Amino acid sequence: MMILAFVDFIGRFHPVLVHLPIGVLLAACLLQLFAKRFPLLKPSIPVLLFWGAMAAIVSCITGYLLSLSGDYDGDLVTQHQWLGIATAVVSLIFYLLNRLSLASGYAGFSAVTIIALITVTGHLGGSLTHGAGYLTEGIEGDPAAEAAKPIPNIQEAVLYADVVQPLLKRKCYSCHGSSKQKGKLRLDEENYILKGGKDGKAIISGKPDESELIKRLLLPLNDDDHMPPKEKPQLTPNEVAILSWWVSTGNSFTKKVKELPQTDKIKPVLAALQSGSGGSGAAKNTDVPDAEISAAGGDAVKKLTDAGIMVVPVSNEKNYLSVSFVTAGSQARELVKLLDPLEKQLVWLKLDGSNIDDAGLAAIAKLEGLTRLYLSGTAITDAGLQHLKSLKHLQVLNLVGTKVTEKGLVQLKTLPALRAVYLYKTDVNKNAWAQLKQAFPKTILDSGGYTVPTLVTDTTLVTADQQKK
Amino acid sequence: MTKKDLIDQRLVKEAEQMVMHTHTRRHFLKESAMGLGALAMGSLLGSCGGKRKAAHSIAFDPAHPLLPKAPPFVGKAKSVIFLHMAGAPSQFELFDYKPELAKMDGQDCPPSFLEGKQFAFITGVPKMLGPQAAFARHGQSGAWVSEHLPHFSTVVDEVAFLKAVTTDQFNHAPAQLLVHTGGPRLGRPSIGSWVTYGLGTENQNLPGFVVLTSGGSFPDAGKSVWGSGFLPSVYQGVQCRSEGDPVLFIKDPDGMSRDLRKASIEAVNKANMQEYKEYNDPEILSRISQYEMAYRMQITAPEVMNINDEPQYIHEMYGTKPGRACFANNVLLARKLVEKGVRFVQLFDWGWDAHGDNASNALNIGIINKYRSVDKPVTALLLDLKQRGLLDETLVVWAGEFGRTPMMENRNGVQNPFKGRDHHTEAFTIWMAGGGIKKGATHGETDEIGYSAVSGKVDAFDIQATILNQLGFDHEQFTYPYQGRPFRLTDVGGKVIQEIIA
Repeated sequence: MMILAFVDFIGRFHPVLVHLPIGVLLAACLLQLFAKRFPLLKPSIPVLLFWGAMAAIVSCITGYLLSLSGDYDGDLVTQHQWLGIATAVVSLIFYLLNRLSLASGYAGFSAVTIIALITVTGHLGGSLTHGAGYLTEGIEGDPAAEAAKPIPNIQEAVLYADVVQPLLKRKCYSCHGSSKQKGKLRLDEENYILKGGKDGKAIISGKPDESELIKRLLLPLNDDDHMPPKEKPQLTPNEVAILSWWVSTGNSFTKKVKELPQTDKIKPVLAALQSGSGGSGAAKNTDVPDAEISAAGGDAVKKLTDAGIMVVPVSNEKNYLSVSFVTAGSQARELVKLLDPLEKQLVWLKLDGSNIDDAGLAAIAKLEGLTRLYLSGTAITDAGLQHLKSLKHLQVLNLVGTKVTEKGLVQLKTLPALRAVYLYKTDVNKNAWAQLKQAFPKTILDSGGYTVPTLVTDTTLVTADQQKK
Repeated sequence: MTKKDLIDQRLVKEAEQMVMHTHTRRHFLKESAMGLGALAMGSLLGSCGGKRKAAHSIAFDPAHPLLPKAPPFVGKAKSVIFLHMAGAPSQFELFDYKPELAKMDGQDCPPSFLEGKQFAFITGVPKMLGPQAAFARHGQSGAWVSEHLPHFSTVVDEVAFLKAVTTDQFNHAPAQLLVHTGGPRLGRPSIGSWVTYGLGTENQNLPGFVVLTSGGSFPDAGKSVWGSGFLPSVYQGVQCRSEGDPVLFIKDPDGMSRDLRKASIEAVNKANMQEYKEYNDPEILSRISQYEMAYRMQITAPEVMNINDEPQYIHEMYGTKPGRACFANNVLLARKLVEKGVRFVQLFDWGWDAHGDNASNALNIGIINKYRSVDKPVTALLLDLKQRGLLDETLVVWAGEFGRTPMMENRNGVQNPFKGRDHHTEAFTIWMAGGGIKKGATHGETDEIGYSAVSGKVDAFDIQATILNQLGFDHEQFTYPYQGRPFRLTDVGGKVIQEIIA
C-alpha cells in the first residue's frame, strides 16, 4: 500500500517535470537552427541536448507512474505515452550523433523533428489534463459556461437525453468522459454510469441519499470529496435538484418527464427549464418574450420622447419596449395613437393617472404584444375594457381606482395569459367576487382594501415609570 | 528697430519659451510613451481574460443625466424603498428567536465568546441577556416574530428574512457606510446613486433618488450615506421632508412671480452655458439640468409630496401624524414617490442604538417605542404597495447596520443601569420584500444563542449584489472608471443570494 502511494506521489510530479524537456530541448533545437549564422552557439548545443534528453526520460518514467493511477485511460494516454518516449529516444540519438560529430548533415532535420514531437506530445498532454478541446474552447465557447438552452415542452422531453445528459456534459464530462476517467468513473454513457467508479456504484436507483453521485454534489464546497472540484464550475441548486429527482425516480434512460411522478418541489424546477432559467438561476421575467425582435423605428420613438413620454427598452439585450406616460398623462388621449408603430415591440405600458378614456383604449387594442398594462386612476369604465379583449399576451392588468365593474371584467375572462388583475378601489360589487373568481380560475384578482388595525400600543408610549410597575 | 520693438520681441519670445517650458522633453516622452503604452496595454488587457463578460456600458448624457435607461438585463424590480434603522435594531427582540439564550439569562458570559473579541463598549465578563420579548410563529411560512411587531407578523408571508447577516464594522458610521456605499470609509457613491446612475428615473419632474430622515437625528455617518462619491454629483440623494415644505426653499419668495423665477433661472442657465462652452466640464451641463428640474419641481413636488391629500383610511392604515416629521409620514411619502416613478427612496430612522445606558435606549422602555413607531407603517407599506399592484416591482429592504450582542452591555466592567445590548458584527437579521424576492423565505441560521452565523452567512456586499440583480444589473460588471481603475458598489465581494429570489 505504501509503495503504491509512493508510486502515485512520484507520478504526480509528471505535470511539473514535463516542462523541463519542453523548454530545454526547444532551446537546443532553436540554437541548432541558428548555429550556421552564429557558430559561437555550437558548443552549448550538446550540453542542452543531454540535459533535455535526461529530463525527457525522467518525464517518461513519472508519466508512466501517473498513468498507473488509472485516472487517465483510453487512446489519448497511449498516444501521449509513445510520442513522449519517441521524443526522449530521438533527442538522445540526436545528442549522441552530435557528440560523435556525425550530426552535421541531419542537424536541421533532427531539430525540426524534435520540435514537432514536443508540440504534438505537449498538446496531447494538455488535452489529458484540461480535457479535450480545452485549447479551442475560448473560440468555440466553453461547454460548462454555456447556459442550458430552454426546452420548448419540458413534459414531453426525455428526462435523461434532454435534461440529464446535457447537464452531465456541461459539468462532468471533462473529468469523467471519454478522454479522462477520474476515479475510474465515466458518465458519458448509460452502461458506464450504471457501472460506477473505483468507490463502487455511482447511483443507487431510487435512493439519491445513498448515491455517491448525489452525495458528493451536496458535500460542503471545501470537502475534498465535493464534486465538481471547487475550482470547476459548480452545479446550480436547480441542477442538483434535477439529478436527485432523476435518481429518486429510478434513473430511467428512456422515460419522458410526464411519465415520472412530480413532487411539488420539482415542479418549479422543471418549469424553469422550460423558460430557460433552469441552469443559470438569474432573475428572469416571464413577461418579456424570448423571441428576438427588430428594434422599433427611431422616428416613432422620437415622436413619443419629444412629447415627454418615456420610452425605454426593457433591457440592453432586448428590443422590447416599456412606455410610461408618467409626466405626459394630461395628453395621453391624443398621444396614445403614436404608439401604433411600436405594436411589435411594446410590452409594458404605464398610463396610470393619465387622461386616457374608454375611446382612447381603442388605440390600445392593436398593441397585441402587451404583457403589462397599467390604467390605475384613469376614467375608464366597463365600456373601455372591451378593447382589451384582443391583448392575448396580457399578464398583468392594473385597474386600481377606476370605475370598472364585474360586468366589464367578465369580458376579459378569455384572455389566456392573464395572471393578475388589481381591482382595489373599483366599482366591483362585493357580492360578485365569488363569481368573478370562478370566471378567472388562473388569475389572481386582488381586491385590495387591506387594513392595519390601530392597537392601543400603536398610539401610546412606554415610559420608565410604567416599566417599574 | 526701436528699443520698444526689441522689448516687445523679447516679451513674445519669453512667452513662447514659457509655453515651451510647460512642454519639456520629459513631458513629451512621457506623453508619447503613455500614449503608446496605453494602446499596447489596452490590447493586452483586452486579450487576457477572454472569457470575461463585457462590463455594463452606461451611457452618461450630462445634459439629461436622469433620463430613464434600460438595465443590462430585464430586472424584476423597477424601484427600491430602503428602510434603514440607524443605530442597529436588536435581532434578539424581533426575529431571531433563541430559547437557549433565555436559559442563560443572568449568567456570566462563557469565556469562549469573549476571547479575542472586541466590542464597542463591553469589557471584562458581561452577563448573558435573554430575549426581552415573547415569540410566536406566524403566517404559512411559520416565521418567528416577537410580540413587539403585532402588525408586521401578519405580513411575514410577503417577506424573505436573512438571519445570518454579518459585517466587519462595529461602529455606526463605518458600518452604515459599508451597507450603503460598499466601503467603511468616506468617498464612495451610495447604492441609490449607483442605481440612479445606471437606470435614471422615470419622472423627470422629481429627483431620482430621494432621502427622508426621521427619529430626530441624522444617521451617524452623516450625509455621506446618500452621497454620490465619485459618480457625477447629480446622482446624490435629494433630502426631502415630510413636514412643512417638502424641499427647503421650494416656494418662491414673496414678490417673486413665476415668470420672474423662470426668467432668472434662464439667465443663470445662460451664464452656465457660457461657462460650459469655455471649460467643457460636463458637471456644468448637469447643473443646468438641475436648475431646470428644480423649476419643474416647484410645481410637482409640493403636489406629490403632500401626504395630506391622502384619504383618511390611508392615514389610519399607516398611522401617520400629519404635520410632523416622523417615520410613518416618510413611509407613506415613499409609497407616493414610487408610485410617481421615483427610482430610489431611502429612509433613515434614527434611534435604534439599544445600549441601555439610559431609559430612552433601554430594550424594555425606549426601544419598545421604536418598535411601535415602525411596526404599523411598515406593515401598511407592504399591504398598500400590494393592493396597488406595485409590490411586484418595488423592492423593499429593511436593515440596520449591524446586530446586537447576546450579552447585556457593561461599561468599564459595570453593568448598564437599563437592559441593553452592545454592537455585534457576527450575526443580525434583515428582511426584503417585493421586487421578485421569494415570499415567505428564510435564509441563514445562527447558533443556539444567536452569537454567530452557522449557515447561509451573507454580508453587505451580498445584499447589494442582490438588490442590483433584482434591478437588472450584474454587480460585477456594473462599474465606473475612477482614478484609473473601474470601481463597483460591491468592491471585490458580493454574491447574489439566489435562495431568496423568486
